[in-house]
Amino acid sequence: MLRKLRRAFVELSESSRQAFGALRTHRLRTVLTALGIAVGVATVIAIAAVISGLNSSFTQQVEALGPHSLFISPRPMISRGDWWNYRNRPAVGWGELRALRENATHLALVVPSARTHGSVRRGDEHVDDVEIIGTESEYATASNLRIQQGRFLTDVDTAASRNVVVLGADLGEMLFPSGDALGNRVKIGAQHYEIIGLLERRGAIMGKSLDAIALMPALTFARGFGLHRGLTIAAVAKQDEVNEAEDEIIGILRRYRKLPPEVADNFAVNRQEALLSFYKEMTGGLYAVAFGVGLISLVVGGIGIMNILLVSVKERTREIGVRRALGARRRTILGQFLLEALALSSLGGFFGTALGLFAAQVASWLTPLAARAAPSVVLLGVLFSASVGVIFGAWPAWNAARLLPVEALRYE
Amino acid sequence: MSALIHLDNVTKTYTLGAEEVHALRSITLSINAGEFCAIVGQSGSGKSTMMNVLGCLDVPTSGRYLLNGSDVGTLSDDQLADLRNVEIGFVFQTFQLLPRASALENVELPLVYRGLPARDRRDRAQAALARVGLADRMTHKPNELSGGQRQRVAIARALVTDPSLLLADEPTGNLDSATGEEIIRLFSELHNAGNTIVLVTHAPELAARCPRAVRLMDGRVTDDGPGARVALVPTAKLPSPLTGEGQGGGDVAAFDLGPPTLALPRKGGRGNAA
Repeated sequence: MLRKLRRAFVELSESSRQAFGALRTHRLRTVLTALGIAVGVATVIAIAAVISGLNSSFTQQVEALGPHSLFISPRPMISRGDWWNYRNRPAVGWGELRALRENATHLALVVPSARTHGSVRRGDEHVDDVEIIGTESEYATASNLRIQQGRFLTDVDTAASRNVVVLGADLGEMLFPSGDALGNRVKIGAQHYEIIGLLERRGAIMGKSLDAIALMPALTFARGFGLHRGLTIAAVAKQDEVNEAEDEIIGILRRYRKLPPEVADNFAVNRQEALLSFYKEMTGGLYAVAFGVGLISLVVGGIGIMNILLVSVKERTREIGVRRALGARRRTILGQFLLEALALSSLGGFFGTALGLFAAQVASWLTPLAARAAPSVVLLGVLFSASVGVIFGAWPAWNAARLLPVEALRYE
Repeated sequence: MSALIHLDNVTKTYTLGAEEVHALRSITLSINAGEFCAIVGQSGSGKSTMMNVLGCLDVPTSGRYLLNGSDVGTLSDDQLADLRNVEIGFVFQTFQLLPRASALENVELPLVYRGLPARDRRDRAQAALARVGLADRMTHKPNELSGGQRQRVAIARALVTDPSLLLADEPTGNLDSATGEEIIRLFSELHNAGNTIVLVTHAPELAARCPRAVRLMDGRVTDDGPGARVALVPTAKLPSPLTGEGQGGGDVAAFDLGPPTLALPRKGGRGNAA
């Protein structure tokens, strides 16, 4: 047993020396073949890095909503092509808000918000496509907003429906580059609003800035923009009561709307998990395609390896005969050529990984996509290229191993 | 003393397309340990097949081949490989050294397949190279060595495993006569030191120097005896078909011409019987 192990080890180290020696002898050939693998691995790594970056940024953002947050709206946030089922649903309004506030026992917070999109102006400067949100003071808690300068909306602001606004980080900087936003006024729609606070930066998700927002008291919003689209109610469940909270919300709203038992809900309660699962479902197909492209280029690289190995076996047929004559077993010859394939593809894998990481980095500089290469992705790339080498090297190596010693020795 | 090599009614038949080629026809032959025996014959006489069978590179179609007590015909491919490694040292006409490896690495190779640790391999390979007179050429690559030196490396590679049989296939065929002479002398020395050597050759002058020679013709043993007698018995009085030398009846040319039917179609000594 020990002798067998020792022999296997001695043969393995000799074979790997031979493999690297063979690769060194044909440098150009080696580099070109490895390049085929490198391109494939680089593609897979870059795609994986971008995907994993996207995933983590999306997950982070969604998780920022809080695991205990529930959002009540007429339609689900995620509709899967069945939007027409929801088109006649009544808007959520103050009545629903009041019903929840008065009856819910599992909810820590109930915050209304109304939204629209519009431009924020200061003199000739303006920023378009800003999300304008009418809400209350607790919105900051429910949505994890943090104030950088000034203050958030207070109950006094809401009760008095004052014309005040809290701006996202981007907006403040763009409109007031000199940093004197606080106390100044901006025009949104037809009205002027006094800036009372600036938010901390929140970043972007899938290229869309989360900082292009302007928040004002709900009644102020209703006065300026109307409430024809109704409210979205954000509810934060008490710790570990999110399932009970969901059931409770449904019960309260059905009672409030006097829905008979046989009628389905005409509102939707959205949870963070649903958003995440929808995201994964939506992007899964895209990723599969992207990986498919990477795989195809790996296969092309693998065929290159197979080709070169077939040449190598042909060139060294007599050497194989000599080795067999001197006592090499079939599996030794097989191992030798498999090792050569493995060395080739690992070389490609190594440079491909480096290239892929670099490409991902460039992508994250040039585009809003945040690339993030997890160590597991790198490991995956290397393992992948190694297995490509073994898979595509298997046939040539087997060809070498099954050569008859007599014929191999005679080969010219 | 029992025979190192014992062939009992061995035949070897190849199928080339639809045709059956009888390379060896019921050969019975014994070679004892310590013998220095030539196997002579022309191209097509079956001596290459004989060499392959003796070297366990190929197995007989029928009959039994006992090498040092093992029945070669019953062994698996792996067992044959191990047997070659342990029992046989090969010396080829074209040296068959690995071009990228140094002399030392070439000689170490059989020991790799025996699983010896690197230090033991190096020590034994150095000793083997010293024995063939190449102590000062160990790190040279084959292309940095002369033909004679290459063949010495090959002989060192064959010796390094301490095989029970040294099997040489036309070991001087690619060498000039002076270098060939050196190699033959080296074989004689090895024989005197106790090695068993089987030398496969078409050259009668080589066979003549062996204590014993076996003549093969058409896959059969036609003569077996002291090398000088077997090699020197003229089989025909015609110019050598191989070299064209000896026109006019020189003594060397008459040695090994085979049956006239084989030699006659070739004119003027041009062309090669192979």
